[in-house]
Amino acid sequence: MKLSSGRLKILIFFFIPVLILFAIGLLFGTLGSSFIGKEPPDIFKVPKPHVALPSEPILHVGSFTITNTLIASWFTILVLVVLSIFLTRKMTLIPGRRQALAESIVEGLLNFVESIAGKKHTRMLFSGVATIFIYVISNAYLALFPFFGTIGVRHEHEFLAIFRAANTDVNVPLSIALMSFFFVESWGMRAVGASHYISEFINVRQMVQGLKEIFTGKIKTGPMNFIFGFINLFVGVLEIFSHLTRMLSFTFRLFGNMTAGEILILVSSFLIPLVFSIPFYGLELLIGMIQALIFSGLTLVFGTIAVTPHEDSHE
Amino acid sequence: MTPEVVKMLVIGLTAGLGFLGPALALGLIGFSAMQSLGRNPESRGAILTNMILIGALAEAIGIYVLIVCIILAMVVK
Repeated sequence: MKLSSGRLKILIFFFIPVLILFAIGLLFGTLGSSFIGKEPPDIFKVPKPHVALPSEPILHVGSFTITNTLIASWFTILVLVVLSIFLTRKMTLIPGRRQALAESIVEGLLNFVESIAGKKHTRMLFSGVATIFIYVISNAYLALFPFFGTIGVRHEHEFLAIFRAANTDVNVPLSIALMSFFFVESWGMRAVGASHYISEFINVRQMVQGLKEIFTGKIKTGPMNFIFGFINLFVGVLEIFSHLTRMLSFTFRLFGNMTAGEILILVSSFLIPLVFSIPFYGLELLIGMIQALIFSGLTLVFGTIAVTPHEDSHE
Repeated sequence: MTPEVVKMLVIGLTAGLGFLGPALALGLIGFSAMQSLGRNPESRGAILTNMILIGALAEAIGIYVLIVCIILAMVVK
């Protein structure tokens, strides 16, 4: 392949320093020094990654504990509010560049919601689903900035970081999952009416009809309706149980992915210090977006199922 | 069979056996996606979207196994 001089310059100025840094990290970091047998020089000493699953408290205000993930989620909220104010100042009918960015974000999310929910219910489902998506993806992406995990206080010979990725605290996915549960049930009740929605779970109509038919003497259809009604009741209870376990699986899916990503980056930058963890940052970008899409997409799918009235074949 | 050896054995077996299921599931998802893409290359967008969705659901099972192993390794004495 013939290299033009421009491409040759990129090759020399980019790849060679990266290779040199990788070799330095390999030789002088932890992995290299365990092969060679000598201690790494002082500038290359990386502290052993200390994995703490619960989040660490920083301040105590009265009886309320402020943990480092709480500070990180406040930071996310601050960034989102400032960004949205900045993007939507002085809105005109023909958008300038900032407004076009905001409009493209909203339009992308609207298309996503409409592709699954259909035109009729998009307006109702949009706010909840889009909020979950934007919040989860902002938490995941803002955690990749350099000052997360490095600025901290020294507290009884232990280093506590002031900022820690908000999604790695199990409370954040749990609270979003609880909200998603309440959203789905409230959408269902708003769309088909509360009593109809609840009757999709606890469905005693067929059983009662079977009982009536037994007592008025229709022996052919009575017991059959009674037995099928009993099975329907059991299936309804199973539905309630499945709605409740959705919260559990939402929580652990997001928490596990984000914590595994954080541990991966910590360990990879401990083993080979300088350049080796860059592909893992790329993986973390991909995983953050996929998890946000999954969380909001599953909420959307369950909401669509909830607002679609079940066809009543018993009438 | 000191307790440390048993603990390491248990964690290793949990991780190894646990990751078989999700790996198989993801392979099957990819297999069916490739087959349907070969049959009908025009529906690439729909197939890709659904494949990513179901892939993340199957991946979640592997993450549950990882959480169990992390808890066994670092929290249980």
